[in-house]
Amino acid sequence: MILSSFRSIGSTDRVKLIGLALLAGLLLATIAWQAQIAGRDFALVLNVFATRFLGIFVEAVPFLLLGSVTSGLIETFIRSDDIMRFLPRNRLGAAVGGAFLGLVFPVCECGVVPVARRLFSKGTPVSLGVAFLLAAPFMNPIVFASTYIAFGVGPVFIGRIVITLLVAVIVGVVIGSFAKRSATLKPIALGGAHDDHAHCDHEAPSTRVKLLAAFGIAGDEFFEMGRFLIFGSVLAALMQTLAPQESLLALGTGPVLSVVFMQILAYVLSVCSTVDSFLALAFVNTFTTGAIVSFLSFGPMVDIKSTLMFTGVFRRRIVLYLVLLPFVMNLLAGTLMNVILAYA
Amino acid sequence: MTAVQHKREEQVDRIAWAKSLILFGMGIYLTLLILTGNLDNYINQRFAWLAGVGALLFFALGLTSLFQSLNPRKHMHDHHHYHITWDIILVVAFPLLLAILIPSRSLGIEAVSGGVSLNPVGVAGVSRSPLDRNILDWLREFDRASTPAQFNGTAVDVVGFVYREPIHPEDGFMLARFTMSCCVADAFPIGMPIIAAAGEEYYAGDWLRVQGQLKASAFGGDFLPVVLADAIEVVDEPRQPYLYP
Repeated sequence: MILSSFRSIGSTDRVKLIGLALLAGLLLATIAWQAQIAGRDFALVLNVFATRFLGIFVEAVPFLLLGSVTSGLIETFIRSDDIMRFLPRNRLGAAVGGAFLGLVFPVCECGVVPVARRLFSKGTPVSLGVAFLLAAPFMNPIVFASTYIAFGVGPVFIGRIVITLLVAVIVGVVIGSFAKRSATLKPIALGGAHDDHAHCDHEAPSTRVKLLAAFGIAGDEFFEMGRFLIFGSVLAALMQTLAPQESLLALGTGPVLSVVFMQILAYVLSVCSTVDSFLALAFVNTFTTGAIVSFLSFGPMVDIKSTLMFTGVFRRRIVLYLVLLPFVMNLLAGTLMNVILAYA
Repeated sequence: MTAVQHKREEQVDRIAWAKSLILFGMGIYLTLLILTGNLDNYINQRFAWLAGVGALLFFALGLTSLFQSLNPRKHMHDHHHYHITWDIILVVAFPLLLAILIPSRSLGIEAVSGGVSLNPVGVAGVSRSPLDRNILDWLREFDRASTPAQFNGTAVDVVGFVYREPIHPEDGFMLARFTMSCCVADAFPIGMPIIAAAGEEYYAGDWLRVQGQLKASAFGGDFLPVVLADAIEVVDEPRQPYLYP
């Protein structure tokens, strides 16, 4: 029975399923290897992995759902024309607009990718979408509040705003200017005239039908993006089970090294932007202020989870730029901040 | 309708049912986590409401998906951007699979792999009376103090699990807890040194309630406030195993 239904699946799908089985085997082998070198029971290490994975997943999934529903609502209720009318046409203006768009669509890094992809398929400029993608996880009222509660108005709060905006706008303009749309985005995010349902010939559907359609799209979006979230959470949980954060913490407090380490930590931990301020508090005594700010501005832009989610929107080369450019720029900004604070 | 077309339609149909099943399954999983209290093993209780929002959204998406598989004709003009395939279904089912196959547990001794920290996490809140302080509260007090000897003679009553290292004295160990700001992604082990008359009798990972007095002493190469235990009692793991900074 199972075998016959397996046969009925297309051959490319069959290859993917076999690949998945191999990945699952690799995962178990890695955990077994870790248990072996640590001299621990396999079941216990597997249990720690499961707890870490489910913890990250349970914390992140409500935000992904909110992002998916937002994406569905944009698709059914907002026309491309409406977005275009309010946003600046030139590249820099569009990037600046994108960086502030999070104030209109409050999403964190798990929810931002589906929304950004929807905006792209609605025809928004690349620079706008990229700036939105990088800035929105911080540039929204919820994260402002949590950062304020944790740090008050001071160098960390102000530094986080300034650095996030600068990096998002610059990366948006850079990626928006050096490549064509089709060379940047995957076909699924490219959209096109036929995608704009506001221009369909039949009469405008009722709000009820539109809502139903929005939730239907949100469901598909959840599956489409959820798989990247799950792959990312598996990687993050595996990294934490294999390389504990304590060993990262033991490294460097210099003006540059501390920033590098905090950014790597932010990338590996993949903690949600809504709560990363509380986590950063734990490092205030150990690390430089520039490192804390870089942790807070780089973390929401890129981490293991979001890198995998990016691959669902952008072509592979662009994903690489989207990780490396913010990393280098945040590193520069954090180091500069350390130098300025040291002489101020 | 050709045979190929028919087969494809059947596939799409099965995938639509699998989608609804997973969405409802996730909703039920989050609801069960909240109802059984197992949610505390994974995320800070401060964010428990988020899991509730997640469960509601899963049920809403599941109902929509079910409705659409029951009324396929109504969605002829469906805007299918996505081609959800079996591999995606399997990947998204993975968390449910783990949740069903592996019993829910909090992070304990086996999750400590880089040592237990003596430094507090987060900022100090309101100061509690000595007997109400947990391990995190004590570490914060030590952090603020000018000298370790400041606490000599103060009574302590704390709960945690036993953690041992070779450099600890024979009758001593650390009483540890994991702190959690957000979810287990940032769980971090902290602990207080304990010295007890029969300290070597307790197993690593045992949950203990230790009552005693503080005295600045040498412990594992440091000079710091150490709990000299008067009474030790083996207890169950607390309902909320983590400390929240």
